[in-house]
Amino acid sequence: MSELRETNPRKLSWMRIRSIARRHYYVMLRSPHRLFDVTIWPLVDVVLFGSIGSFIAANESAGARAFGYLLGGVVLWHIIYQAQIALSTGFLEETWSRNLLNIMITPVKEWEYVAGTALFGLVKLILGTGLVAVTALLLFSFDVTDLGLGLIPIGAILLTVGWLIALFVVGFVLRFGSGAEALAWGIMFVVMPLSGVFYPVDALPDVIRPLALVLPTTYAFEAMRTLLDGEGLDWGAIGIATASTLVLTLGALLFLTRMLRVFRARGFISRYS
Amino acid sequence: MEYVLRASGLVKDYKRTRAVDGIDIEVLKGERVGLLGPNGAGKTTTLMMLLGAILPEEGSIEICGHRLPGGRSEGMQLVGFSAGYMPLAERLRVSEFLRMYGELYGVVDVEARMQAGLERFRIPQLAEAMGTQLSSGQRTLVGIVKATLHRPRLLVLDEPTASLDPDVALRVRMGLQDLCQSEGTALLITSHNMVEIERLCERVIFLSRGRVIANDAPRAIASQFESDDLEGVFLHLAQIGSDQPERAERGAQETDHSA
Repeated sequence: MSELRETNPRKLSWMRIRSIARRHYYVMLRSPHRLFDVTIWPLVDVVLFGSIGSFIAANESAGARAFGYLLGGVVLWHIIYQAQIALSTGFLEETWSRNLLNIMITPVKEWEYVAGTALFGLVKLILGTGLVAVTALLLFSFDVTDLGLGLIPIGAILLTVGWLIALFVVGFVLRFGSGAEALAWGIMFVVMPLSGVFYPVDALPDVIRPLALVLPTTYAFEAMRTLLDGEGLDWGAIGIATASTLVLTLGALLFLTRMLRVFRARGFISRYS
Repeated sequence: MEYVLRASGLVKDYKRTRAVDGIDIEVLKGERVGLLGPNGAGKTTTLMMLLGAILPEEGSIEICGHRLPGGRSEGMQLVGFSAGYMPLAERLRVSEFLRMYGELYGVVDVEARMQAGLERFRIPQLAEAMGTQLSSGQRTLVGIVKATLHRPRLLVLDEPTASLDPDVALRVRMGLQDLCQSEGTALLITSHNMVEIERLCERVIFLSRGRVIANDAPRAIASQFESDDLEGVFLHLAQIGSDQPERAERGAQETDHSA
């Protein structure tokens, strides 16, 4: 038996993660419409917000700052968006192709499945965010790398939060079925305005602002704006973002574990077989 | 005796319905067991619990010594599953689909196992076909190849030959017999084809209304119910179950006590 199967647990996990990632690669390769997420939407976003920024820059005294906020915001927004959408739709693909039972009865552990899907998601993220960054540079002469090394902690927080939001989406789909699929796209339209992607949260209405202040993304984008303003990295904002990301991680893992248990206890697998 | 599967006291409720009501199932190494019963008897729910996809309300499940749900990953490493109703993952070629599952089970030499499996069921020509191009019979065969790539100690099949032409069903039966003999794989199979079960299985477990009502060799069960074959037993149980549910239940209790 030892000749047939890999016995080293680490190699075995890596084998499974790689296999899941490759499966999603094949899906993208043969579903050109899935490329919309990493080609058309990024282009539309950067042209839309870049054009608004150019207009404001030409007409307002504070326009130069707004221009950077809009383009910096849209480039970094795509980190969280692509991370979230790749993981969510990767899981949804299993439900659409009725492959969920096939996966669930293999030895694959839940974390290995998530890791494999997220690993391929990184490829999509690099494609999508890279396209936004290059387009911003070519069309509007906005070079996001001018932000320097401060981009690394900000990007890491946005990437992690994107994955965590996807875990919530997966949990809701496990519990509520296909009716919850719309969350994969819709939830980002809630997170975007609340996070102050393009403006300081002071610009939000007073009643909404408390919601914005509990999101890690709010502080990540705040840190981006201080970099754009040439004030260096706001380590205070990064600290708060990191702490709230840790809390969100705990919440997402507890929620997903609970929803998976409900899924198995109530026999919801019959929805997909 | 070496058990590959030991499940006892399995209970599963769906809202107000008890789908499985205290089932015990044991399968020995290399044994071929049929799980039969009319629609709604609890066969598929039982299989899903044995595979860890559904949690039972009560009872315990052990796969080759690995207790579920804690030992699910280790247990499933030794189990293969395929069902006639399960599609192949879309947008994958057969070889890609098989390679993926081989790797999920940790198979080191996937290509060789894949080739051997396709040849066992006489479908090597399908390796480069897209999953969506296959007929239902071909999909079933590929599904069984997938389920046997990692040389499982227990192969679980749910309605593997449903809607297959007789020649393809025969090919499935022959392939399964060859697999069980050459690799010592135990088989737990559900089917509505009683002749198939009589030919393939050494032992049959009959379910009705979520309970085991008979557990013996096919011929012994037929004579227990004063029937010529398993089909007669099946029809008898289905008739009682639909006409007089309480009588079927009483009959089940009597059989349980006498067993």
